Amino acid sequence: MQVFLQTFIGGLSLGAIYALVALGFSLVYRTMGLVNFAHGNVVTVGAYLASTFYLSSRLPFVLSMAVAILLTGAIGLVIERVLRPLENKDFDLMLIGTIGFGIVLEALIIMIWGATGRAVPSPVPGAPIDLFGVRIRTYDLVVLAIAATATVLLVFFLSRTKRGAAMQAVAMDHEAATAVGIHVGRSNATAFMIGAGLAALAGGLVGPLLYVSPAMGGALGIKGFAAAILGGFGSIPGAVIGGLAIGVLDGFTAGHFQGYSELVTFLVFTMIIMIRPTGIFGERTVNRA
Amino acid sequence: MRYRIAGFAALAVAAWLLPYGLDTYAIHVVNVIIIFALLAVGLGLAMGVAGQVNLAQVAFFGVGAYATAILTTRAGLGFWVSAVLAVAATAAMGLLVGTPALRIQSHYLGIVTLGLALAFTNWVTNAQVAGGAEGISNIPVPTLPGVDLSNEYLFYYLELIVLAGGLLFGLFVVRTGLGRRMRAMRDDALAAGALGAEVPMLRMTAFLLASVYGGVAGVLYAGLIRYVAPESFGIAGMFLLLAMVIIGGRQSLIGCVVGAVALSVVRELLVDHPTYAQVAYGTVVVLTVVFAPTGLAGLPARIRAARGRRGAVAAQLKPFQPYGQSEAPPADAPPVLRVDDVHMRFRGLKALGGVSLTVRRGEIRGIVGPNGSGKTTLFNVVSGLYRPTGGRVEFDARDVTGLAPYRLARAGIARTFQNLRLFGDLTVRENVLVALDRSRTVDGWRYVFSPLSVLRRDRRLRGRADEVLERYGLTGFAALPPRSLPYGTQRRVEIARAVAARPRLLLLDEPAAGLNGDEVRRLGEMVRSIRDSGVTVVVIEHNMGLVMSLCERITVLAGGVVIAEGSPAQVAAAPAVIEAYLGDSMSADDVELPSEVNR
Repeated sequence: MQVFLQTFIGGLSLGAIYALVALGFSLVYRTMGLVNFAHGNVVTVGAYLASTFYLSSRLPFVLSMAVAILLTGAIGLVIERVLRPLENKDFDLMLIGTIGFGIVLEALIIMIWGATGRAVPSPVPGAPIDLFGVRIRTYDLVVLAIAATATVLLVFFLSRTKRGAAMQAVAMDHEAATAVGIHVGRSNATAFMIGAGLAALAGGLVGPLLYVSPAMGGALGIKGFAAAILGGFGSIPGAVIGGLAIGVLDGFTAGHFQGYSELVTFLVFTMIIMIRPTGIFGERTVNRA
Repeated sequence: MRYRIAGFAALAVAAWLLPYGLDTYAIHVVNVIIIFALLAVGLGLAMGVAGQVNLAQVAFFGVGAYATAILTTRAGLGFWVSAVLAVAATAAMGLLVGTPALRIQSHYLGIVTLGLALAFTNWVTNAQVAGGAEGISNIPVPTLPGVDLSNEYLFYYLELIVLAGGLLFGLFVVRTGLGRRMRAMRDDALAAGALGAEVPMLRMTAFLLASVYGGVAGVLYAGLIRYVAPESFGIAGMFLLLAMVIIGGRQSLIGCVVGAVALSVVRELLVDHPTYAQVAYGTVVVLTVVFAPTGLAGLPARIRAARGRRGAVAAQLKPFQPYGQSEAPPADAPPVLRVDDVHMRFRGLKALGGVSLTVRRGEIRGIVGPNGSGKTTLFNVVSGLYRPTGGRVEFDARDVTGLAPYRLARAGIARTFQNLRLFGDLTVRENVLVALDRSRTVDGWRYVFSPLSVLRRDRRLRGRADEVLERYGLTGFAALPPRSLPYGTQRRVEIARAVAARPRLLLLDEPAAGLNGDEVRRLGEMVRSIRDSGVTVVVIEHNMGLVMSLCERITVLAGGVVIAEGSPAQVAAAPAVIEAYLGDSMSADDVELPSEVNR
């Protein structure tokens, strides 16, 4: 039982990271129907930027994170602007375009920061808290708190601000949104920027948990995507629940299957998708003839 | 044509003579390039031709190479026996990876195949039988009597023959029935299904083809390098392969080969700066999808188009040539279509609430009703796009409720769509050919064992397609993509395509929408002639003039139920109909109405 709880808690903090990645995927998807395959690489960029400011310029962790989020958000803007001609036309081509961006970003990361990774020390020192025999790292709690705050802010933005409402409108019907005077391109750009910002937040937070390397984005991206689909693609609560679920699943498969954990995670994921393609909170869409 | 043959001959001679000008390092590079070209052809078939986002191609490659390595070194089998088993194993893997495509498409399929590819690398890195991270070395040299295949110059010829064979076979598939149905499915899976293309089988075939090409490439790789390790089959390799296919032009197999060669050469030139090479090809991928989605292969056509539009549409739509009169059906013939108390609900929304109707053989039935009354939903149920939540559909006295669209199409139901669903990247002739071609996907074995019969069959079909085009006055447009045609002509192409499927029941969904008065008149003649040739027609239409003059019986739908049925004159006088169309202020208060309409 104790081992179970320990694995569960450990999975939750990584799950919160997956949830942030998944939120970025979902936000872009619901707004423009696109899956950003470069998202994982954007996470890596965020992780490197945050750790660079934190380690070399000795900025406080929070401040270096904020700078990383801003810079990464700008990358999101660039991606959206370049691919804008394809919006609402050919999604498969757009998907490939984002893969192209991923290839470029990965190479740029290696060029700037080198092919070897780096370890980031935890910004909150202190012994783990002992709770009924389960040891919880303080940093895990910080991650969960920040992820929860970010989710709440995002929901607030989408439901309570004018720009957020405009994005929801574009998500529902981009033609009707244009007709009432919403700038669809700008709305998509905002979605992409927030998505990239969330990716940077996830990357910055995951730095002290994992080893920061050019390859980390691949695994994070694909698991975040799996989380988004599992929860119901495009759904905000779905992304959060899916992220936590994948994190916990990951923790258990790592415990039981050691090296094969990735294999098991992807096989389970494939099974779930085939049984219920719309995920937990997804809407079943209807083909229109 | 003569130039093209001469060009290919020159290319073949050049390829044959190429090793004489290369040193040992260069020939090795060329050998690796050929393997990538073969992989790219396989990926092009799945992604470009069949539209299946397959990000597991590099895993197929890995399965082929690893299976060869394991069978030769661990099981001690001979190279060629292992090779055959390896390709079989890869094909099995292809079918497995393709299974999700039956349920999901596009982005989802991309992520699932990518995940399965990662699962494969994860397995080989950990499994003892696959040598773990070290991989497997000392794979034996493939033996061929009289040829020393450890010599890379001679291995080149083996690879060249395999690539040429693979490319020719791929082109053969693409240009005949199987590939045509795949391309139709890529452009519009719904319409392809409604014309009898077995969409699930075709998707599996696409993955089967891709995996066989991957497996063969893997075998060649194992024979050439004689060493396999996990990092050769990772995501980076997959994205490189994808870049080759996109830059070359995914819809053209020759483009895929060109892309593979071009990108490999550039990478070889930048071999000391791999990250710069990566930035470069990533950038080119982005630029390609935005500015030249058809890739290098599409450039000649784009240049031709930019150079002034010679050969632009000068063709004229010719008049329709009526069919001959066929015998009138016996009066006691069983009804062609019986819809019995069909219900259709989408979550809370009730689209059909118990619709029943019977269509006699040889009838022209009109279905009218206000927008949102469930007319198209009814068509979607009858043609199998929706499975009704209740009720029965009988076609020719056989229960066909909930059958897949392609089964219904093959049973003899054809339809057109309200918003035209022509296959955009196929020519008008190919659009008709897809409907004419009733060969089954499982007959695909003919492509391997009896290719000549496939060619003969295709020639016959082409002849019949030309007859159809001639009859509908579309001969001049045969080689053009449908979207370059005027709207009215596109409508006619869709009707020609539906009739080419030789249905017994034809469903027309608003065929007159967007047509001018003259075109509507000709449409009426056309539909009447189609009926006279022995086809029962059901038509949804808002143009009342056309409905009244064309149809023998009319069914009126409102709010998902039938509110009236009868001859045009009866229906026009029915109070419920007047109310549904004009509102209840027009009718007297004492008129009995079905409760659904009242609500």
